[in-house]
Amino acid sequence: MNYIRKPFGYEPILKKEDLNRKTEKKKGPRASDWKSTLLRIWKIVDEQRILLITVFFMVVISSILSLTGPLLIGIIIDEYILKSQFQGMAPMIIVLIGVYIILSISLFLQNYWMIGISQTTIFKMRTGLFNHLMKLPVSFFDKRQHGELMSRATNDIETVSATLNTSFIQVFSSLLTLIGTVIVMIYLSPLLTVLTMLIIPLMFMAMRWTTKRTGKLFKEQQAAVGALNGMIEETISGQTIVKAFSQEERVIEEFREKNARLRRTGFWALTYSGFIPKVMNFLNNISFSIVAGIGGILAFNGLVTIGVIVIFTEYARQFTRPLNDLANQINTVLSAIAGAERVFSIMEETKDIDEGKLPDNTQLKGEVEFKDVHFKYDLSEDQETLKGISFHVNPGQTVALVGATGAGKTTIMQLIARFYDVESGEILFDGKDVRDLKRETLRSQMAFVLQDPFLFEASVYENIRYGKLDATDEEIVEACKKANAHEFIMKLPKGYDTILASDGSEISHGQKQLLSIARALVANPVILLLDEATSSIDTVTEVKIQQALELLMEGRTSFVIAHRLNTIRYADLVFVMHQGELVESGSQEELIEFGGIYSKMLEQKDSFRE
Amino acid sequence: MKTVFSYVKPYWLSALIAFILMLIELMIELVQPLIIAKIIDEGIVVNDFSSIQFWGIVLVILAIVALLSGIINSYFAAHVAHSFGFDLRNALFSRIQAFTMATYLKFPTSGLITRLTNDVTQVQNVLFMSLRILVRAPLAAFLSLVMAFIINPKIALFLFIGAPIVVGFLYFMVKKGITYFAQVQWRLDRVNRVLQECLQAIRLVKAYMRNQYESSRFQQVADSLRLDTTKALRIMELIMPVLLLIMNVSLLAVIWFGSNEVHAGNAQVGELVAIINYSMRVTGNFTMFAFIIIAIARAKASSDRMKEVLIVDEGGLEEQSDKKETKINSSINEIGTVRFENVSFTYPNSELQVLSNISFEVKRGEKLAIMGETGAGKTTLLNLIPRFYEPSIGNVFVNGRNIIDWSMGELRAMIGFVPQKSLLFTGSISENLKWGKQDALVSEVRISAEQAQIHETVETFPNKYETRVGQKGVNLSGGQKQRLSIARALIRKSRILVLDDSTSALDIKTEGALWEALEDENATMFVVTQKVRTARSMDKILLLHEGKVEAYGTHDELIQISTRYQQIVESQEEQVGEEG
Repeated sequence: MNYIRKPFGYEPILKKEDLNRKTEKKKGPRASDWKSTLLRIWKIVDEQRILLITVFFMVVISSILSLTGPLLIGIIIDEYILKSQFQGMAPMIIVLIGVYIILSISLFLQNYWMIGISQTTIFKMRTGLFNHLMKLPVSFFDKRQHGELMSRATNDIETVSATLNTSFIQVFSSLLTLIGTVIVMIYLSPLLTVLTMLIIPLMFMAMRWTTKRTGKLFKEQQAAVGALNGMIEETISGQTIVKAFSQEERVIEEFREKNARLRRTGFWALTYSGFIPKVMNFLNNISFSIVAGIGGILAFNGLVTIGVIVIFTEYARQFTRPLNDLANQINTVLSAIAGAERVFSIMEETKDIDEGKLPDNTQLKGEVEFKDVHFKYDLSEDQETLKGISFHVNPGQTVALVGATGAGKTTIMQLIARFYDVESGEILFDGKDVRDLKRETLRSQMAFVLQDPFLFEASVYENIRYGKLDATDEEIVEACKKANAHEFIMKLPKGYDTILASDGSEISHGQKQLLSIARALVANPVILLLDEATSSIDTVTEVKIQQALELLMEGRTSFVIAHRLNTIRYADLVFVMHQGELVESGSQEELIEFGGIYSKMLEQKDSFRE
Repeated sequence: MKTVFSYVKPYWLSALIAFILMLIELMIELVQPLIIAKIIDEGIVVNDFSSIQFWGIVLVILAIVALLSGIINSYFAAHVAHSFGFDLRNALFSRIQAFTMATYLKFPTSGLITRLTNDVTQVQNVLFMSLRILVRAPLAAFLSLVMAFIINPKIALFLFIGAPIVVGFLYFMVKKGITYFAQVQWRLDRVNRVLQECLQAIRLVKAYMRNQYESSRFQQVADSLRLDTTKALRIMELIMPVLLLIMNVSLLAVIWFGSNEVHAGNAQVGELVAIINYSMRVTGNFTMFAFIIIAIARAKASSDRMKEVLIVDEGGLEEQSDKKETKINSSINEIGTVRFENVSFTYPNSELQVLSNISFEVKRGEKLAIMGETGAGKTTLLNLIPRFYEPSIGNVFVNGRNIIDWSMGELRAMIGFVPQKSLLFTGSISENLKWGKQDALVSEVRISAEQAQIHETVETFPNKYETRVGQKGVNLSGGQKQRLSIARALIRKSRILVLDDSTSALDIKTEGALWEALEDENATMFVVTQKVRTARSMDKILLLHEGKVEAYGTHDELIQISTRYQQIVESQEEQVGEEG
């Protein structure tokens, strides 16, 4: 008994409660409703309506021709072969050759165009997903594993792709055949037709029984694939750590667990969906027997002729075949829906709305003001990262943010760049609320050198050009010289045209930082944000680029986070942060005179100097 | 070397059962028309009710048997397919885990991800189908042909006039298909790659408002994928119409020449009709046939890609720990020593020599600072100690023993490694710290966090050590990540500590406290640092310049002999003077 409940040791996934709960949950307007998911896919497919109609016509032609062929052969058999009149057969054969050629062409063309339609649809879904992702707020990404998101653009969309390639044509032609057969059947015997149709409600019930399960299981399966993908991506990206701590065994074990979950859900999804064709077949056979049996009784009573029964059973067979095909398609469609739902659920996440009352070409002067700004990250629940920050920075001033790690310095930078919106309070640029500015307008006048330098898999040129898309090669070389990166770039195999790998080892961490600085130099911003921009750069090099940086900061409002006090010595203002509060602010001299935290920090440095 | 399909082997019995069940179903399907004929002939025609009843019951019983075989087949086939996929994924992942760092450079992460998910799925699907429907169509076609031959071999022979073309054509298509589908999978890798990049660099993308730019970049790779997929599928769609045409023309040949035969009196009319009927049945299976061929080509392309991972041999894999005998005892005073002997190193994918002829020795409990310009080779040097890479020339000794003689596990267990980029993983803080030592007690976690100066901070988090960390630690500040990463290394209580510029984001006070706490560790330490202040508190300083040892000695020695060191010192003293 246990073996039936848990075949091969697979724990069952679906519970009675789960299956019944479905009806209650239906109320939500989410994409979890399969009808709306199908409708959304259909909308994209429908954008290519003309092609779709052409495909439909091709299906009609091929359906007709594939019926014509046997019909003509039937005529040949009846009229010529059986009558042994072999003269006059030649024209028929020539006609048939024509029919078969057109049949093959129409079959090819319908598939040819359908593949075009489906792949375009897939392309649109994929890029649509990506474009939407790129517009989601930063906070969205804080919570997600990269690999899990990637799985949606690949594995989930692939399920849709597989379905679109074949299902449409299948469904079309099945329906056509079905209609044709029913017409012939009614013509032959309405009574027997009704009898044959008796199994339809049964089929429907069987279908409902399975789809109720497979729909859920497919969803589970895609989620399991996503989780696995997430784990793979994260593990391989962090492979150094795995190796350093000899954790291979453990990650393999963790992988096995996630993999086992996929196996389990996959097993049940496949098993249940495997039932459909078999049950359909069974019902066919039964209806077959009914027709034969009742037909026999009818023939006994002389209501139908034997000939009708013989032909009718053949047609009943023909009738159930497209039904069978349709039932099979349901499986693929369901798995596609499961995949599409996961894609659409991302597309339903609210994106950053990039609107602002102020005109797009608003030119910033660089005045920045915080008014009692409170902020907390989604992940940190009720703990505020910033607790009422207020300050005012004039255009062109350089501000150094200092304080212990975790004091909220990076958060301030991220709020200035409007990666997040404030909880309460206001951030003003030139006296205007940041929320009235388009992000595009704001960030196009800003350059942000992030804590973790990142390079794309592209040439040095392209990586630097990221700061300003229309920068000339000369500008780039100039910026790299200023950032002290020119020398090492020239040592790369192809100089500026060397393709850098984001996870490669050709470039050191410090060199990546130099390139990030060059990127910011090219951007020529009004506001400059440097978050530990030089932390991995040796001090000799740092001194060299210091000049370039000072030059860069001149006339621009700059915010700098650095732990080495020498990097902040040229700041006009120093903000000392402590546990989310701005505890001291003022010029270097003022703060030293004040004798607070900042002056203590300097003393400490002195004490290290002995 | 194992091929991909050898992973079906453990499930051969289940596969066989599924296969037999499928055959039973097929048989019943073939027998059915015969029984119907019986019902008509023996029952209805002669008005024999009992005969109708008997054959009717037989029919129903057979239908039930077919249903049961089908249902049970579902279980077995699904079991085989998913267990195969499960084992294959495990094997691939284990193999990937055994890669050396150099091998990773050959396989981009995105390509590995596609192989582990999408490629496995492709092959798994074909396997499932082969246990359910795959054999059916060819078998039905084959049986029909056999029947045709039994009836009249001479006429049936005409059915084969197209056979050589068919065989040649199919061979050609399968070969083409494999190439095209391999290309499709490779394009999928690219899509994965761009997506992964953008997710990793999401803040950069946002900071420069480059979502348009990235979108167009993604559009390009997605479009290439679209084009290649379309091309591959379209070409494969040729199979069915072409097969159909050849078969239909053969059929016409049968009719034409067959009727000639009949005319000449060499064959019966009935025979000809029967052969025509059977050949029409053959064509009915062609859709499925084409489908199978496409699936096979696709599965082959995917399994080839997986094979690339599975055949990575010893040169590309880290040695297994149990191979080495570990009994050689190092003498006590050698424990914790590290020695480089004429070490040169070039990354496998480049020609640039990153380290050249490095020699030095660090004694037990000694602390070595490594300094030098960015790109001087500091990180690379540290990467050689836990044997992430092998020196191109020269040797590295730990505890007086060449590291190639250590088992990988033992060697790395002696080392507490803190990388430059503090990589944390999705999970709780305590889970992350336990990477260093899986069975660490709560107290151990706490002590190492205290040493790394992060305990107090963790205590201020609402969920303390159970606070969730996002991927790569996104929700923590740079300094917090660094300290957690240090704590993760400290929890191992290793003999050798390797810190790769791991304190850059720490403020002076915290850093001072950290070094103080590390004093008690008594471990041999390698510290990459930019700060003279840190360096001079170490026992020795190794100054690298363009991959060579520029100077080696104590702070006081270096300041005498090395102008470069003097420059470094100056670069840091200058401003101190100004501040004062």
